[in-house]
Amino acid sequence: MTRQEIPNPKDQIPSSAIPEAAVAPSWDLEVGSGDFHIVAFCCHYCAYAAADLAGSLRLQYPPSVRVVKLPCTGKLDVLMILDAFEHGADGVMVAGCMEGDCHYQIGNLNARRRVHHVQTLLKEIGLEPDRVRMFNMSSAMGQKWAEAVAEMDAHVQALGPSPLRKPSPQRRNARRGDRDAAPAVARI
Amino acid sequence: MSLQSAFVPLSELTTPGNGRGPIGAVMVVGGGIAGMQASLDLAEQGFKVYLVESKSAIGGHMAQLDKTFPTNDCAMCTISPKLVETGRHLNIEILTNTEVLGVEGEAGDFTARLRRKPRYIDPLKCVGCGDCEKVCPIVLPDEFNEGLSPRRAAYRLYPQAIPAAYAIEKKGIAPCRDACPASQRAQGYIALIREGRYADALRVIKEDNPFPGICGRICNHRCELACNRNLVDEPLNIHALKRFVADWAGTTERGPVQPIPQTRPQRVAVIGAGPCGLTAAKDLVTLGYGVTVFESLPVAGGMLRVGVPEYRLPSAIVDREVQDIVDLGVDLRLNTTVNNLDDVFAQGFDAVLIAVGAHEGKKLPIPGADLPDVLVNTQFLKDVRLGKYDDTAGERRYAIRAKRVLVLGGGNVAIDCARTAVRLGAASVAMACLESREKMPAHLWEIEEAEAEGVTIYPARSFKRILEGEGRQVTGVESVNVTFMEFDAEGKLALETEPDSEHVLPCDVVIFSIGQRAGLAFIPADAGVGVTRQATIAVNPNTFAATRPGVFAAGDATTGTAFVIEAVAAGHKVAGSIHRYLSGEALEPKFAPDLPVVKMTRVEVEEKLRRNEIRAAPRVPMPMIPAAERAGANLSVRPNPFAEIEQGYTEAQARAEASRCLACGLCSECLSCVYVCGVQAINHDEVERVEDIKVGAVILAPGYQAYNAKLSQEFGFGRYPNVVTALQFERLLSASGPTAGHVKRPSDGARPKKIAFLQCIGSRDQTHDYCSAVCCMYAAKEAIMAKEHEPDTDVHIFMMDMRAFSKGYEDYYRRAQEKYGVRYHRCRISALKEDPQTRDLILRYVGRDQLPVIRDRSLAAADHCSLITDHFDLVVLSVGMEMSPAVKQLGRDLGIELDPYGFCATAQFDPLQTSRPGIYAVGPFREPKDIPETVVEASGAAAQAAGLLAPARGLLARERAYPPERDVSGEEPRVGVFVCHCGSNIGGFLDVPAVAEYAQRLPGVVHAEHMLYTCSQDSIAKITDRAKALGLNRVVVASCTPRTHEPLFQDSIRAAGLNPYLFEMANIRNQCSWVHSRDRDAATAKAKDLVRMSAARVAALEPLRTMPVSIERAALVIGGGAAGMTAALALADQGFPVHLVEREAELGGNLRNVFYLPQNSDQSSVISHQSSDPQVFLSHLIARVRANPLVTVHLNTELADTTGFLGNFTSRLSDGSEIRHGVTIVATGGKEYRGEAYGYGTDPRIVTQQQFESLLAHPASNLQLPTSIVMIQCVGPAEKYCGRICCATAFKNALRLKALNPKAEVTVLYRDIRAYGFKERLYTEARRAGVRFIRYDFDRKPTVEIPNSKLQASNLHAERPISNHPLPITVRVWEPVLGIEVELRPDLLVLSTPLVPADGARELGSKLKVPVDADGWFLEAHVKLRPVDFASEGLFLAGAAHYPKLLDESLVQAKAAASRAATILARPTLTAGGAVAIVEQSKCTGCLTCVRICPYAVPKIKADLAGVGHIAGAAYIEPAICQGCGLCAAECPAKAIQLMHYRDAQVAAKVQALFEEILA
Repeated sequence: MTRQEIPNPKDQIPSSAIPEAAVAPSWDLEVGSGDFHIVAFCCHYCAYAAADLAGSLRLQYPPSVRVVKLPCTGKLDVLMILDAFEHGADGVMVAGCMEGDCHYQIGNLNARRRVHHVQTLLKEIGLEPDRVRMFNMSSAMGQKWAEAVAEMDAHVQALGPSPLRKPSPQRRNARRGDRDAAPAVARI
Repeated sequence: MSLQSAFVPLSELTTPGNGRGPIGAVMVVGGGIAGMQASLDLAEQGFKVYLVESKSAIGGHMAQLDKTFPTNDCAMCTISPKLVETGRHLNIEILTNTEVLGVEGEAGDFTARLRRKPRYIDPLKCVGCGDCEKVCPIVLPDEFNEGLSPRRAAYRLYPQAIPAAYAIEKKGIAPCRDACPASQRAQGYIALIREGRYADALRVIKEDNPFPGICGRICNHRCELACNRNLVDEPLNIHALKRFVADWAGTTERGPVQPIPQTRPQRVAVIGAGPCGLTAAKDLVTLGYGVTVFESLPVAGGMLRVGVPEYRLPSAIVDREVQDIVDLGVDLRLNTTVNNLDDVFAQGFDAVLIAVGAHEGKKLPIPGADLPDVLVNTQFLKDVRLGKYDDTAGERRYAIRAKRVLVLGGGNVAIDCARTAVRLGAASVAMACLESREKMPAHLWEIEEAEAEGVTIYPARSFKRILEGEGRQVTGVESVNVTFMEFDAEGKLALETEPDSEHVLPCDVVIFSIGQRAGLAFIPADAGVGVTRQATIAVNPNTFAATRPGVFAAGDATTGTAFVIEAVAAGHKVAGSIHRYLSGEALEPKFAPDLPVVKMTRVEVEEKLRRNEIRAAPRVPMPMIPAAERAGANLSVRPNPFAEIEQGYTEAQARAEASRCLACGLCSECLSCVYVCGVQAINHDEVERVEDIKVGAVILAPGYQAYNAKLSQEFGFGRYPNVVTALQFERLLSASGPTAGHVKRPSDGARPKKIAFLQCIGSRDQTHDYCSAVCCMYAAKEAIMAKEHEPDTDVHIFMMDMRAFSKGYEDYYRRAQEKYGVRYHRCRISALKEDPQTRDLILRYVGRDQLPVIRDRSLAAADHCSLITDHFDLVVLSVGMEMSPAVKQLGRDLGIELDPYGFCATAQFDPLQTSRPGIYAVGPFREPKDIPETVVEASGAAAQAAGLLAPARGLLARERAYPPERDVSGEEPRVGVFVCHCGSNIGGFLDVPAVAEYAQRLPGVVHAEHMLYTCSQDSIAKITDRAKALGLNRVVVASCTPRTHEPLFQDSIRAAGLNPYLFEMANIRNQCSWVHSRDRDAATAKAKDLVRMSAARVAALEPLRTMPVSIERAALVIGGGAAGMTAALALADQGFPVHLVEREAELGGNLRNVFYLPQNSDQSSVISHQSSDPQVFLSHLIARVRANPLVTVHLNTELADTTGFLGNFTSRLSDGSEIRHGVTIVATGGKEYRGEAYGYGTDPRIVTQQQFESLLAHPASNLQLPTSIVMIQCVGPAEKYCGRICCATAFKNALRLKALNPKAEVTVLYRDIRAYGFKERLYTEARRAGVRFIRYDFDRKPTVEIPNSKLQASNLHAERPISNHPLPITVRVWEPVLGIEVELRPDLLVLSTPLVPADGARELGSKLKVPVDADGWFLEAHVKLRPVDFASEGLFLAGAAHYPKLLDESLVQAKAAASRAATILARPTLTAGGAVAIVEQSKCTGCLTCVRICPYAVPKIKADLAGVGHIAGAAYIEPAICQGCGLCAAECPAKAIQLMHYRDAQVAAKVQALFEEILA
């Protein structure tokens, strides 16, 4: 008897169970690589929770994103987004609740307005406007979060590193684990 | 009935608590949204709450939903904060896996008896890491996903579940384990074999049995007799599976074994290295004792090694398993005979175990028994095993080769002797025994094997003598035939022989095999160890203690010959006993409750077979050497005649056999979870407990169960895979569901392009006389969501009426059709078929609505109806609500009245009160209802319980005590970083020590360490200790999500005297290890980044203070109708002063116009002993308000204006008085619409329902009653929104007229009959009474033709009859079923005009700064979860001010508003501050931006504050009501506003730290 012929324990699930393909969906997104950083401003109630759920579901997504939690995306002002670019972010995600579902009623709509505004500012200074993008998701959308990160990662990779990024040769070396070899310089 | 007795709420009838005062605790039964809401309300009001939930987590059905109507909010988003809040609340104790067995006592002083079922994982210890789930081999359907996906037996109900702890689903122990003397966890290792985890399987076998290879071969496997699979086909070959594992272990390299160090001073001597002695030795060594085993033979293993023939049990197997035990540190001394117990004690042993077995064979005392060629079984077998018959050994005391051998005996050992003789090359081998062939004690398969090898059997013989030939040679055995034999109860033999049947069985060698006994010669008579008559050692059967202290005995030496597994079992038990003896404990084992055993019945098995849950599959046969190849005759062919016959399963065979296991107990007790659990939270021996709790009141919120659609066989659910229930569809829609939110049909995973919803499955049918009230709306929602997922999906809904009866529902229904193109068909599908090829579903229905409306009267109905046959990819059954058998049982156990369906009967004017005072019912348990109404009822019940228990408020509530806060201002940051492994959840995927080591070098960090689980109790304490000892002033925990764990850690630093805001979490599990599990370097690097960012931010954080704000503990209630008065009384009952403001001259509101209630004749859902006259109720209500000293009534008064905020409002009334209050309740009601429609106002014979009711209630005489009436539903504004109460009112009045005048003709022209819940019964009753119903559409409304009437309004009340008026009103309506226009000439036309908001509602809204919706109804904060709260804090609403409502609904809502208000008034002070927005006035220009943007209208421009440039007028944000969203801070153009805890610099610190490289 070959291994395939062994009855699957799942056979004992009631017949209403749905097929294997649906039970074990392929969650894995193409995991991107590359040395760049995306800052994600997430609202506490939905996007941050969606990212948590993505974790619970073990969805794999590119490791380029770093989350900054806010009570609401409506807290995010234009300067904060620009600040992230100024310090070297290659992309900024603003992730809030579904429109109409904001925990604070209208916060995500304010955020959308500001993201649009920042996009025009980026354009003015010669940066690709969609280095910053707004995403909306509910707290049950772990998959959406993973997809959003993958999408943003791919997009930023296509755009290349932000020209505003400070040159930092160490950073490149340090990224993949050989930090311990570098000299100790601590500054914050 | 007197006024007083009529309406005193049941709860007031008894004095709570027998004068001792009530108990300040409430039991809430059911952890769904209702139970959670009631618990939170009560806990906030200072009561202790026990929240009892039968599942392993709270959340109920709502947690399963994808979205909620009518806002399409994500259900999980809305429920999740409540879950966390409930789980964290200090005064809510969640009792999961718990059922209520009964409630004794009376209101105020109940004792509830609870059954607490084991969850096997201690929720207090479990950290929710999920490691147990990962290793669990048992796959079960996931009930949370409605069986659409699998889950493990170790599980968490859903990812966000509260308690976040895991649980194990186990029915009980499997029968195989129960049957085994050693309690071998057979189901466990079988499950692991199926999964291919052989090492794990070996480990669990060895938990109970150190001899898997041995027992896998020679055990008598009682487990297989007990196996439930016997009921299906054949039992599992359990012993063969065990053997497979042992053999697998034999093929793997044996790693070095670390001896267990001796940790206890005592030493134990074990006499006999058989299975019993070795098992005990292993257990004792494991416990840390020194153990020496004395064995007289040159080999260890006892009978296993020298009694069982090699071909059944190879010595290599025995030696290996013995060696495994010796390697643990047992001192084994072979060839050492113990002659004297005193000597043993003299050697310094503290206890002795005698386990010498039964090695002495017996002979019959017959002549010739002492001849040299007469052998005894045990000695013979032993000699063979020890090589004495080995031809090459040279020592052949007894030659067997070429001899005729006769074995006397019919047991298994006799067979062993015979088959051994065959292998030694005997010329012939025979067996003779007393018993008949059928009664031979040997196992049948053994006999068959022997016969196959050529052994002749002479059954039923008795032996007279052994015949002696020359030179004492044996020549034969003289025998007689036995006709009857039986051993009596005392073991004495009764024998009858056949006369003259003497004959000789010729032979050269005789082997006696008639039993064995222990050889106890070494025990002298004076040793102090007693011996029984059967020559066994006398022991206490519970403790195995012999008569001499310190001496124990077990195994065959105490019982006589038994099976190896019994020796193992005895070994374990005696080891436990010796351990207790040596540790000075009582010798008797502690009482261990019996674990329930899962025995299946034949019926159950047949049911499972029918449902395809089990499939018949024969046992995988054991491969064996064929008999022809193994017998002695072929010795030349086979080099080793003793080669093992059974070959053992191959891997594939073993896994195939293992997969036949039925997993009877569900959890297999494979202990994988126990081994992997890092916090030792798992205890498989947990048992059910019964506990009593003392509570003052009980709230029942058990929720509903969805109708089991399998019972409606015509819809094929359970047979056709593409027929799903609405709850299943909900899971398919859910992003966190089994298909990740991609709707796929079960049969093939394809996207359904055409979906049909069938309504009223399990509602409004022969077996359900009620409407489930939610299905129409959820179907609309699911249809919309399906369309949102895939806009080209074709969705059809088949229904009878659309019951969109609540606020915003009608609009939602329209959107479903107009915006999304959902197609509705007014017909009820009676059955469906499946296309067996495509697995599509085939529906047949009459399609009418889809055709263009034909106005040509000449067309007969049949002409524009057609029978349509249509195929659908997926059919969704909109299943209704039912009460589960468990809920019905609960009702019976509590002694409360239920209706025949199991719904709870409640009091007419006290709608949450069950028939038992102090016990309240809420939610669908009362009547099917949706989430908002359920939440309202939950709050309402909380108010009632709080009113009952008001004197005990706060008595049982706890508060956390903290040390004073340390002032850290001016200190340099001293950050402590704690990095969590989360078992392997983080540690397995990234380098946790490296992250901690990295953190150590970050600026400001003075301490970093890593912990296995930061959230375990000991770690929490450690963080507190570290913070104190190291003088930390900031703490970072790098572990999981702050959403669930931040409060826990904040608490731990607060316990160290630190401000809780000086804390930050880095979510390296959900954001690193779990999502980058395949890239360890990237995950580690990212974790370091996150820790660096958190350390930077925590250094920038500042302590935040909260300050107490005093509360004006009084309420303002606006509106003196039923809702306002009820709310006022509910608050006054709890001791809060209330100002009740009514603009009219008297109290009562709309209730003054209600003269009787909609009541159908079946009143089983209403407690019957109270008057149902609403006017009696009203007068009593007014009397109670008037009599209550805490209620101040302001008549002819309106609110002039109001200022202040939550807890501190000041309001001016129109009479000039000023009142101060902490909360405001708006209960301004509504009024009946009296606008022009259908000729209203032009003819007195056209009246509203209210007017009609008045007429029916006070008819001057019967003459004046109309004999024919027409009612038109959905009049005026009701074309836009559903008037909700009009249908019920129409039934009520129609039935009243029919009662007064049975001949009266009533025709109701309706659009949809919206008889939700039990109102359906009224509808049925109206139809039964002969009321005619004609449906119309808005595009073809009825027309009314009014003659030029002279009739005056006053005439209606005159004595003359209004019927037969010469100039009748004519109503024409298109009858869609007949397809004709019907003309009606009623005496009276009754218009069902809806309620509209009270005059001035909008103005009142702007005074209070609360919103009204487009129709003028006050707008609640959240449709689902805050249905009586306004978005602005401290303001609540009740009654028809919110939306039209029936009386009971208004009363409940009023109580709910009171409850919500009481959560504020009950607090001593409010807490203001924390993470709120603060205005730096010196920067403020007073530009009003913040005032405009705040969704809660919190910022105010205060004239007395100086803004930028000292110009008067700057913004002020009241911290007590700020929601902390930061919208104002982001919008403020002058950056004058900062959100505390998220100051710009604090957020920026994180971003900047990301890019500030720290290179170390």
